[in-house]
Amino acid sequence: MQDFEQQLRDALARKEQPPYFEAKVLAATRRQPKPVFLRWAFATASALLIAAGIWTDHRAGIQAKEQLQLALRVTVTELGKVQRTVRASTEEE
Amino acid sequence: MPTAGAATEANVECPPNMTFAELLRANQSMVFSLAYHFLRDRGAAEEVAQDVFLRLHGKLDDLADSRHVVFWLRKVTSHRCIDYARKRGSQFTIALDDTSEPSVASQPGDPLLNRRLQQLIAALPEKPRMVVVLRYQEDLTPEEISEVLEMPVRTVKSHLHRSLAMLREKIERSMGDIR
Repeated sequence: MQDFEQQLRDALARKEQPPYFEAKVLAATRRQPKPVFLRWAFATASALLIAAGIWTDHRAGIQAKEQLQLALRVTVTELGKVQRTVRASTEEE
Repeated sequence: MPTAGAATEANVECPPNMTFAELLRANQSMVFSLAYHFLRDRGAAEEVAQDVFLRLHGKLDDLADSRHVVFWLRKVTSHRCIDYARKRGSQFTIALDDTSEPSVASQPGDPLLNRRLQQLIAALPEKPRMVVVLRYQEDLTPEEISEVLEMPVRTVKSHLHRSLAMLREKIERSMGDIR
């Protein structure tokens, strides 16, 4: 039995891989796409940046609208004052 | 790089924190030989071995210690070979006498007997074949084989027992025919 097992060990002795194998694998690893989690991380980061940009634009838009409304209110008030002044001077004449 | 036939070196050859290139260099003979002895096809063995190392490259950060890499490599290579053989199925029949042998530093034993044994092993069903390859190429115990192949120790022992009996009977008959 031991002889037969030794014969099997001899028959199944390790073989040498082809001489180019190591270089081929190393070259293939350089061509390999990034791991899935890195691609997901990149996609998530991109989406967050875009969302942050949109939110910033949105906030800036709201602020601009509020400033315009304030300016219009001030203008309306000032115009009212001018109109009242003009009307008062017209009545005096 | 381990020399051909030095199966037991793989059990102690990987200190912790090796780089991918170092792991590749240390284990390429083991992975290629497992695939070659199982598939008996040089091109297919090369393809499987490359695929296994590419998977290792993507997985390296998850493997805590380089010493786990040897276990992981044996496990993934074994399963990959079995899947490959099943997919290849009956469409692939190779004339074993026509296959060219990869080089071996110093092939021990009788070359004619070795070749006949390799042919008989290649004719075993997939799981018993991988059990025999892991036992006699890698010198793994039935307990270690059961971990690698995720099967009960009892099943491993049963595959070994039946395969050895069958191989011994066939080799005695065929060597008797030659003589």
